[in-house]
Amino acid sequence: MDDLIPKDAAKPLKWVGTRPIRPDGVPKVTGKAQYGADFNMPGMLVGAILRSPHAHAKIRSIDTSKAAALPGVKAVVTSADFPEQKFEYVGPERVAVNFWHVTRNIMAREKVLYEGHALAAVAAINKTVAEEALALIAVDYEVLPHAIDVEDAMRPDAPLLFPDLITRGIDPPPSKPSNISKRIEFKIGDLEAGFAAADEIVEMEFKTAAVHQAYIEPHGCVARFDADGQGELWSSSQGHFVVRALTAQLLGMRLGDLRVYPAEIGGGFGGKTVVYLEPVATLLARKTGHPVKIVMSREDVFKATGPTSGSAMTVKIGIKRDGKIVAADGVFKFQAGAFPGSPVMNATMCAFAPYDIPNARSVGYDVVCNRPKSAAYRAPGSPISAFGVESVLDVLAKKIGMDPLELRLKNAAKVGTQMVYGPKLSHGGYVETVQALLRHPAYKTPLKKNQGRGVASGYWFNGGGESSATVHVNEDGTVVVATGSPDIGGARASQALMAAETLGIDYAQVRPIVADTASVGYTHVTGGSRVTFATGIAVVDATKKVIKELCRRAAMIWDVDVEGVTWEDGHAKPASSNVGDFKPLSLKEIAAKRALTGGPIGASAAVNPGAVAPGFATQFCDVEVDPETGKVTVLRFVAAQDVGRAIHPSYVEGQIQGGVVQGIGWALNEEYIYNAKGRLDNAGFLDYRVPVASDLPMIEAILVEVPNPSHPYGAKGVGEVNIVPPMAAIANAIENAVGRRMTELPMSPPRVLAAIDDGDKS
Amino acid sequence: MAEAPARVVLTGGLSRRYTGGVQEFAIEAKNLRGVIKAMDRLYPGLGEHLEEETTVAIDGEIHEVGYYQPVRPGSEIYFIPKLEGG
Repeated sequence: MDDLIPKDAAKPLKWVGTRPIRPDGVPKVTGKAQYGADFNMPGMLVGAILRSPHAHAKIRSIDTSKAAALPGVKAVVTSADFPEQKFEYVGPERVAVNFWHVTRNIMAREKVLYEGHALAAVAAINKTVAEEALALIAVDYEVLPHAIDVEDAMRPDAPLLFPDLITRGIDPPPSKPSNISKRIEFKIGDLEAGFAAADEIVEMEFKTAAVHQAYIEPHGCVARFDADGQGELWSSSQGHFVVRALTAQLLGMRLGDLRVYPAEIGGGFGGKTVVYLEPVATLLARKTGHPVKIVMSREDVFKATGPTSGSAMTVKIGIKRDGKIVAADGVFKFQAGAFPGSPVMNATMCAFAPYDIPNARSVGYDVVCNRPKSAAYRAPGSPISAFGVESVLDVLAKKIGMDPLELRLKNAAKVGTQMVYGPKLSHGGYVETVQALLRHPAYKTPLKKNQGRGVASGYWFNGGGESSATVHVNEDGTVVVATGSPDIGGARASQALMAAETLGIDYAQVRPIVADTASVGYTHVTGGSRVTFATGIAVVDATKKVIKELCRRAAMIWDVDVEGVTWEDGHAKPASSNVGDFKPLSLKEIAAKRALTGGPIGASAAVNPGAVAPGFATQFCDVEVDPETGKVTVLRFVAAQDVGRAIHPSYVEGQIQGGVVQGIGWALNEEYIYNAKGRLDNAGFLDYRVPVASDLPMIEAILVEVPNPSHPYGAKGVGEVNIVPPMAAIANAIENAVGRRMTELPMSPPRVLAAIDDGDKS
Repeated sequence: MAEAPARVVLTGGLSRRYTGGVQEFAIEAKNLRGVIKAMDRLYPGLGEHLEEETTVAIDGEIHEVGYYQPVRPGSEIYFIPKLEGG
């Protein structure tokens, strides 16, 4: 029977690797796609949330009586309406969830811990009444001193966010509480001996700013609740199964009593893997008996949803004169925001991963401070540590007079290289990204005055994990592919391409959809660059089951044994002794006989694939620095990435271009600006400057294809590693342009100008 | 001749938390279920921690922990903190 299954890697491909129009394209460009805020229901109320004006304060009391009495207000809730949660870290250590913290982030209890922290919520007949009601809620605060930056929060005399937070990861545990939630360390080899053997050692300190994912669509949802305890949610997220799990846990519900529908998503980048509004809207819907809609303003998004961490770090690397790296040490301190859980562990694991370094250590600190709780952002943690490591490598390359790409090539991690976090690398692909840039004609072109070129590399694990897919053959032979993966970057197109390729039918015959939590099996979030890999395997597995069934049906139609049927180019064909006896049967012809042969044709697959191949990226850029203003203009950006095999090359290029642009924003402009009171002064896109098209050159994406043997079509995750190198690449280019080493992000015009002026004075 | 046991390594602070600092183990098993059972016999309760908190690298290939993952004689098995992305 396995002979029926196409040998994917061996045969020439018809659809995989092509660039058809995305199935969700037309509704999006005509404005008809339904995003989180677009959904409405009859009798729907408007929800609004009261947020703290203070960075840190005790809540002495909350009086909601006047708000509740306002005509048009149907319900008011505070933390008292949410069940208390047990204090325990559950799930994986790196992203361990403590629901005692999560419920306090959704709705503050004893204290507010950042400006924008939710305190109470109302449901009312319209927005005007809802906002009027919020103004009637009286909160008595005892304002406390605050700590915004990571090094301030780590000081022994820093104001404590939690009076009993004892640092985990130190043995014996400290006797006093602090804001340091966790210390982690990875180490291989003999660090001291490694540095002793080095001919050149460079040690530098760096700082990076907290930056937001800056998705265009603010968070939004609609909840409804029936008298029988069944709830429904329409929400824009990166994972509706995770929305269901978190909301149910926070409200004490059974998973089976809550159904979550995925809205279209206007960007997530990691920031929509958690919940903010959904439990509140569901609670208000339960209390009022009406559907409730809550949508964040842009200011809410900046003040109350997770950015990625700001950081302070020290990186020390030693090399021999021939360029061989012999030792590396990094200490990374990350802002977690108001509750523990920054991506510092990823940062420590990825920091040196592109390189074969025999002696290495990376240490991380997770530190709470009076900012919104950090959330995942594209390759969480890796871009931050790469800024330090890739900058130091650039300094070292100069010291020994070696081309920075050649230095990276000499030390490139390959299959068998031991990673600082333990295991040996089992997939290659890094070397090829460096070689792609060395071959690029623009890499050696001369530059003008005040222009410079910089290179950097990056690593990201990529992800596998649980995914489900169902494939149905419609009555007319068209096909529906349903998965549980919200489509952020063209996933529907990629899934349809893989199903069409496997079936041997036209892409246009396949309709891919994202199904709700009651209509497809559990599927983990769209994140970690896992969907084309893991959900893709589920789609191909389900499609292969459908092919087996189609062959069985054809055998019945021909009245032969199933071994006498094979599947080729979208048709059941006679095989072995039957060759020539029957005319091939198309999918449409078999579907037409479905009732006669046993009923509807379809299959599901649920998988948890491993053997995940990581992603590597290497990039170079050319910049020009205006010495009068400090403004940096990116003239050229070339990004090479190992993508395994591009299922839909346009969307892979789009991922690379998007990641690079976000990296350029992180490098040059983006930062949270807090005033002396701990309040955010730039909570909007006018003052929080993300790059726009007119700021940028065309980003040239080079797809390096080292196929992944763990995937039926060779795909690797492609969504994240592209954001890892840009900050260091730009810093290295600025140094080559004007001779100033920038060690703090963003490298905004005032900061670059100050560096130029300081250098001139010295 | 007896088959070579797998080399099992705990990283990322797991050994400090759960095995009194012992990092490396020699375990004979045919699949990851066997490895986890053996580790749990050595340190009661450890199996659940490994299942819920770690990702596993078997001869360098990173997987979510799954009982069904085969283990060859002489394999290198690293339990590392679970990986999540954005």
